[in-house]
Amino acid sequence: MTAAVDKAAPVAANRERARSLAMLAAIWGVLALAPFWMPYLGGYTALGTRVLVLGLGAMAVNFLLGFTGVLSFGHAAWFGLGAYGCGLFLKFIAHSTPLSIVAGTLLGGVMGAILGALIVRRRGVYFAMVTIAFGQVFYYIAFQWSSLTGGDDGLRGFQRAPLDLGFTTVDILYNSTAFYYFVLICFAAAAAVMGFILRSPFGRTMLAIRENERRARFLGIPIELHIWIVFTLSCFFMAFAGSLYALVNNFADPLGLHYSQSGNFVIMAVLGGMRKFWGPLLGAAVFVVLQDYVSSLTVNWQFFIGLLFVVVVLFFPRGLLGFFQQRVQS
Amino acid sequence: MNQPKPPTIGRRTVLKAAAAAGVAQVAAPFVISARAAETLKIGMINPFTGVYAAVSNNELIGAKFAVEQMNAKGGILGRKVELLTEDSANDVGTGVQKARKLIDRDKVTFITADVNSAIAQAVAQVTNEKKVLHIVPGGHTDPITGTDCHWNVFRVCNTTAMEANSVAPVLFKKYGKKWYFITPDYAFGHTLEAAAKKDLAKMGGTVVGNALTPLGTTDFSAYLIQARAAKPDVLLVLPQGGDMINCMKQIAQFGINKTIHVAGLQQEEESLIAMPPASRVGTWMFEWYWKQPGVPHVAEFVADIRKRSGGHVPTARTWFGYTALWSFKLVTDKAKTLDAVKLAKALGGLELPPQIKLQPNKVYYAAGDHQLRTSSFVGEAVANPKGDPEDLFHIDTVIPGDKTSPPDTETGCKLTWPA
Repeated sequence: MTAAVDKAAPVAANRERARSLAMLAAIWGVLALAPFWMPYLGGYTALGTRVLVLGLGAMAVNFLLGFTGVLSFGHAAWFGLGAYGCGLFLKFIAHSTPLSIVAGTLLGGVMGAILGALIVRRRGVYFAMVTIAFGQVFYYIAFQWSSLTGGDDGLRGFQRAPLDLGFTTVDILYNSTAFYYFVLICFAAAAAVMGFILRSPFGRTMLAIRENERRARFLGIPIELHIWIVFTLSCFFMAFAGSLYALVNNFADPLGLHYSQSGNFVIMAVLGGMRKFWGPLLGAAVFVVLQDYVSSLTVNWQFFIGLLFVVVVLFFPRGLLGFFQQRVQS
Repeated sequence: MNQPKPPTIGRRTVLKAAAAAGVAQVAAPFVISARAAETLKIGMINPFTGVYAAVSNNELIGAKFAVEQMNAKGGILGRKVELLTEDSANDVGTGVQKARKLIDRDKVTFITADVNSAIAQAVAQVTNEKKVLHIVPGGHTDPITGTDCHWNVFRVCNTTAMEANSVAPVLFKKYGKKWYFITPDYAFGHTLEAAAKKDLAKMGGTVVGNALTPLGTTDFSAYLIQARAAKPDVLLVLPQGGDMINCMKQIAQFGINKTIHVAGLQQEEESLIAMPPASRVGTWMFEWYWKQPGVPHVAEFVADIRKRSGGHVPTARTWFGYTALWSFKLVTDKAKTLDAVKLAKALGGLELPPQIKLQPNKVYYAAGDHQLRTSSFVGEAVANPKGDPEDLFHIDTVIPGDKTSPPDTETGCKLTWPA
């Protein structure tokens, strides 16, 4: 580093902060106004809701993959458990949307915490294999336990309940714009918690583990414990997204637990940029919107998503968001 | 400190603007299509990719032909009909999403969906919420027009109970009362088996065993050896699609069909075409068949479809798509409105005319459960057809839908109409 660069450092830091604030404002502005601008581009509110929910799922995968460097290929299990937990609660226990989300999040998160204790003993490809295996266990439970889960036909017979705010009730069942904002608030809360964790000393430790696990271990960081905590948190976020997904569809089905769904989340994270906080959301938006448009034009839409994925991995290894940010900075 | 940079328009900015303008051109048709209201739009959601692609495409061929015919006759209530298709990719979330897209953005008047029963049921919740008339062409699970029925949802294809009721008496009378089941181990298989067992018990037969096979089984030999050891009169093969094809291939290899009568419930032209000739054995039920000598309008329909399908005959799926689309026209002609509630009331009890039903018996939507009472074609698979290579089925009896279906008061359906 030269002296000139050192002098310019505070300026660069200021500019950096202004840029990230501007980006945050842009992201939230785009999200908050989505129901108004989407129809003009041929979108519709339900599409925005889906982007938010799947984006949150991809961010939860990325919490583990991008910031701790651990690849889970079975995260759909916690997503699906969240969906089933939420659906079963609404169907059998109480007709309350917030409580059903809590129930779904707890089911997926707690199961993730328990099995995570076994899974974190492995690393690399073995970790990925074990997560697939546990994910498929839950897939087959949902598939076979017809009396409870509806089996292959999926879990039906529940609907999101209106929100009771004390002074008024909000109809989130028939009013799709109201439901979009409900999901946006949930998304914002989850993203805030996630961002807070990443900024904390614990978040820095995650990065240290990602960068060099052996060095982190020599510094006295209990690696297994940390990875387990991150894994558990990630499962809670995932189950939270899964609960919202059940509410989006008013339905839960075993395919939501399947490893192919896990693969989709990983694709979204990598597509958007897996070391960036907002990358997975962009990846989810591209994935969902592309799927939505291209599949109306041709039945070979999966080919185009695969092609995009290959192009991104080969030419933009930092993902779409990483690529754009690099462009802006240069 | 922070010197503001003078605004410059670089080469890249120009390129980006050009790219954005290009994207806007591509996006423009979507914007315009969202506003157009002169044509009447009907949305079709089906798994056009994945294991159900073949049957979905046949439904589409039938639906397209129906639209062509309707438009030649002045469309629906004087408006030209446009068919919008969406791929549900065999995934419930995607199917639900596509239903919302068709209703919210494309403003379709009617929806027809889906081959996959789970998606059909999930889409039914959306159409019910949005009050859109919805016809299920080819998802068989009972609750769609049974315990989970909706005022706006109708179904063309048979229920699993109707399928069992059509074949069971024939097998019992002709081939014997000791049955062995090979059942795919998931919800659909269990319902099918339960329906057939119920019929068998009623007639006084016995189940000598059953094998539950996981979905995606390729090697059925262990199950087939067990089945042979149980010495049944009839072996019922209930797996569908690829599993059924594998099972039938191995049955032929083991020569099981020489000692035990092989049968199943639903069989499809698409599956028989995919099988080697030696495996095409046994007693089955078709939901519609293209060769019905003497039945009016069938020959013309087959000839017309051949022109649109690259020379292939229509299958039951083609007829489902055709009938579902025509039902929309028939009911709007009758009720002279696009109000979904009035249309649904008019469609309950509607009888299909000969040029649509394409079969001998009376075919109508039951008012109590919205299930089409359509005939079952029970007969034998043909290994080596003499004439047309796609003539793979020999019809023994055609049983009217009234006989195979329980009355609409006993299907568990309670319709609740909007206030």
